[in-house]
Amino acid sequence: MADASAATAPARPAGATSPDRPAGSVRRRQRLRRALTGWAFSAPFTVLFLVSMALPVVVSLVMSFTDLRSTDLRNPLAVNVVGIDNYTRLFSDQLFLRSSVNTLVFVIAGVPLTMVLALAAATALNSGLVRFRALFRVGFYLPVVASIVALSVVWRFLLDPEVGLVNNLLRLVGIDGPNWLYDARLALPSLIVMAAWRNLGFLMVIFLAGLQAVPADLYEAATLDGATRWQQFRNVTLPMLRPTLLFGGVITGIGYLQFFEEPLVMTQGGPLSSTLSVSFHIYNQFGFGNYGYAAAGSYVLFLAIVALSVVQFRLLGERN
Amino acid sequence: MRSRRLAAAVVLAASVALTGCGRDSGGGQDEAKSVGAGKASGDITVWAMGTEGEKLAEFAKEFSTENPDAKVSVTAVPWDAAHQKIASAIAAKQTPDVSMIGTTWQGEFAKSGAFDPTPPDLIKKDDFFPGAWDTTIVDNTSYGVPWYVETRLIYYRKDLAAKAGFPDGPKTWDDLKAMAKGMKDKAGAKWGLNLQPGKTGSWQSVLPFAWSNGADVASATKLSFDTPEMTEALGYYQSFFKEGLSPTALPDGALEPGFVKGEIGAFISGPWHMGIVEEQGGAGFKDKYAVAQMPMKKSSTSFIGGSNLAVFKDAKNRDGAWKFVQWLGKPEVQVKWYQAVKDLPAVQSAWNDSTLSGDTSLTAFGQQLKSAKAPPAITTWEQIAAAFDLEVEKLCKQNADPAATAKAIQEKASAIGTGS
Amino acid sequence: MATKDTTLRTRDRVATTVLYVVLLLGLLAVAGPFVWMALSSLKPEREIRDVPPTWWPETVTLDNFRGLFSRLDFPLYFLNSALVATLVMVGNLLFCSLVGYALAKLRYPGKRALFLAVLGMLMVPGMVTFVPQFVLVSNMGLTNTYAGLILPFLVGPFGVFLMRQFLQSIPDELIEAARVDGAGEFRIFWRVVLPLCRPALATLGILTFLASWNNFLWPLVVATTEDKYTLPVALALYSVGENERNYGLLLAGAVVVVLPVLIVFLVLQRHFLRGIATTGIK
Repeated sequence: MADASAATAPARPAGATSPDRPAGSVRRRQRLRRALTGWAFSAPFTVLFLVSMALPVVVSLVMSFTDLRSTDLRNPLAVNVVGIDNYTRLFSDQLFLRSSVNTLVFVIAGVPLTMVLALAAATALNSGLVRFRALFRVGFYLPVVASIVALSVVWRFLLDPEVGLVNNLLRLVGIDGPNWLYDARLALPSLIVMAAWRNLGFLMVIFLAGLQAVPADLYEAATLDGATRWQQFRNVTLPMLRPTLLFGGVITGIGYLQFFEEPLVMTQGGPLSSTLSVSFHIYNQFGFGNYGYAAAGSYVLFLAIVALSVVQFRLLGERN
Repeated sequence: MRSRRLAAAVVLAASVALTGCGRDSGGGQDEAKSVGAGKASGDITVWAMGTEGEKLAEFAKEFSTENPDAKVSVTAVPWDAAHQKIASAIAAKQTPDVSMIGTTWQGEFAKSGAFDPTPPDLIKKDDFFPGAWDTTIVDNTSYGVPWYVETRLIYYRKDLAAKAGFPDGPKTWDDLKAMAKGMKDKAGAKWGLNLQPGKTGSWQSVLPFAWSNGADVASATKLSFDTPEMTEALGYYQSFFKEGLSPTALPDGALEPGFVKGEIGAFISGPWHMGIVEEQGGAGFKDKYAVAQMPMKKSSTSFIGGSNLAVFKDAKNRDGAWKFVQWLGKPEVQVKWYQAVKDLPAVQSAWNDSTLSGDTSLTAFGQQLKSAKAPPAITTWEQIAAAFDLEVEKLCKQNADPAATAKAIQEKASAIGTGS
Repeated sequence: MATKDTTLRTRDRVATTVLYVVLLLGLLAVAGPFVWMALSSLKPEREIRDVPPTWWPETVTLDNFRGLFSRLDFPLYFLNSALVATLVMVGNLLFCSLVGYALAKLRYPGKRALFLAVLGMLMVPGMVTFVPQFVLVSNMGLTNTYAGLILPFLVGPFGVFLMRQFLQSIPDELIEAARVDGAGEFRIFWRVVLPLCRPALATLGILTFLASWNNFLWPLVVATTEDKYTLPVALALYSVGENERNYGLLLAGAVVVVLPVLIVFLVLQRHFLRGIATTGIK
């Protein structure tokens, strides 16, 4: 992202930054001055960051190479260093492997689904025809702000096989709806839809913003050329929106790889571990008191997140 | 001061990074210290979850009346993350003096060395239900006191049971099966008996059948899930699903309405369900259902749960803390506590009070409690239980072979170990 | 010509209608469950559990909301939450914009490493640092203090990332011009740059406020007496039992918890949009 942003930042006027070369000592003093200014701005953040975030990360990373358990908590120095044992053990842990597959399915299906839905909503709201735009915006954003526990109550009623709204609608068209959350094949897809529902508002707001930044004259030119709405969308909107799509994809990918809340409140990972996610498995391991093992799992997940972000930058990022 | 502590934390992190220390193997046995005589004094801080946390502050005022120099400060903790909160407090040595502890957490926390051993001069073991007392024992030492208990019984609809030919409820394994069948075939219930098809906590429904069949699944040092008794119990449990008497996919919250409507003839649960079904069933429903002891095989043995009270080693007011715990364990206080929040007394003699002995449903629970069992307080129990639940789910939903299930549980449990 | 115009207009009108219908259906699907939640908070506990569930409350009652006030010290928890969320928001706005400015516009050694550390932090799963973070905070003697509730969230990698991206799109000429006028670096930041950042600040503000407002686990563990509990913690206390849930209180609580955030969102949404637009992450 660093390179991508620099690419479109307005070019510096040459004269402004390259005055006549000063003598060595002046230059050194200037460099020192610049360093001081830079760090004066960065210091408050950096201190807080190091203490409250970086230090715990270091400790937890160390933890992942030990056999620390909750029973050692009063005496954390008395643990054994086990090297990469925790990491190798993860890959023979059937539940971890199962949860990795589940999470992968969730990300591969969930990220595009959420992005398409959010893009559709944003495009519709941006089409210039729509009144009550604020109402729609707030409406679509509602699930983002609501508490997951309350939402789970609602969703369990929606998906109830007998009295749920979804199956009642299906019955209208003569389909006997399944038992969504209790069917090992349908539970994960159900949660994917739920997650897309919950998150599309956030992405929609981001995409709306991106769409508003597309210059109107591009559309006018396309209309003059006789392009249909779809052609305009394909050839004007999508390319112009690429950086925003990238941002949305990366943020959603980071979030979805840590898929956790939906299975926690809806299915507890069941039925038959079909909705167990990596984050949920790690959460369970923390709960069981296997701190070292759980920390190792977290860092494997971290690597997966980094890898996914890199892939997305390759796919969607601008080349330079 | 603060910066010095911070420095200490940094050093701690760094030293873990640089040195592999290795824990002492074994470690010294804790010696229970006695508690001084006289009245309690000082500030006593207590954590308690849910309803107990909500009601205890008011309830403890009577303790302060008896001990004018003592003040009890209760913090109510949500159940949702109580385990995490206590674990974090232990790690930071920032515990209260006393906390309510779920019985299955006892092993893990006691093993960390966070609890003070129970002073035998103050608390008498024989006052409590033996199954409840066992949950406080870790490495042959007691680290807490049972506060309240619960156990699981068979709830059944009297009308459906009568039609099925069991007006007095089931007495044996065969009875239970026949009753469930009769309820479905003769009495028109959709399901004869609701059993948990796996999922969190299903071991609490399965193990009573195993124990009743004479299986001894776990002790502090040995895990033996792979026994003929266990296999037979698993097979029996599974047969309800195989024969279509129990639902494999009952949605959350559908049990109680189903029971009230007569679609579900019976289920296994603890005392809290009395209040729930009576509220949902409306006036008069109290007479429409009854509770029965776990059916006999070799014995009738149910699961005992509930919560204990433990005093922390890092307590600032150890003396006052134990005196408060002792007070909560007095028979007359236990009866009053039952009246306040409907928690069943862990102290046996409290059950002689007419408040409890006058109610037939309650006495059924009281009777079952005498022999009810709990798994041993081993540190890894929660993890073993989770593996157990997963295998039970396969048993109920995928028709896994009972013997293979027993074997799989044993394999997973041995891999986890007892943590000692 | 005239006929072509009318057909075009009719086609437009049809398209508009279709669009509205689709959007309305979408809105129903997205906001419907939420509306059910709000309506159900007005039902008695019994009716909430009714099978089949009702849409409109058959009996309208404010008992659930009254319960919020009678069973828990609602004003106290509300104030705690508001105080913590506001300070967290202010901290993020201030510190993240400062460092964001430095990362975007200043040249100094260590800048790249700092930015990479921030990006890396963004990708570390939160729960892994929980226990070390808590041990740290309690070693600093901050358990059960507002400082302990706030400190770990005062800065965040997301905020820095957002502010840096936004600030990069502010033209250098503006800053150079101010420099030529002899303004100090901080004065430039405060007087020239920050006012231009209002949209990004609004975005960051709502996001950090929301995150802190809904945070559950940290305040639960750090607060050891109830007078330091925040709203989500207090609500969990009374709505989720060991074996049962109080749905009425849960839903009423959810409605009340959402309101302040919704108001903040409504107030900021115009800025909010432009904010993310400009971050528009080129």
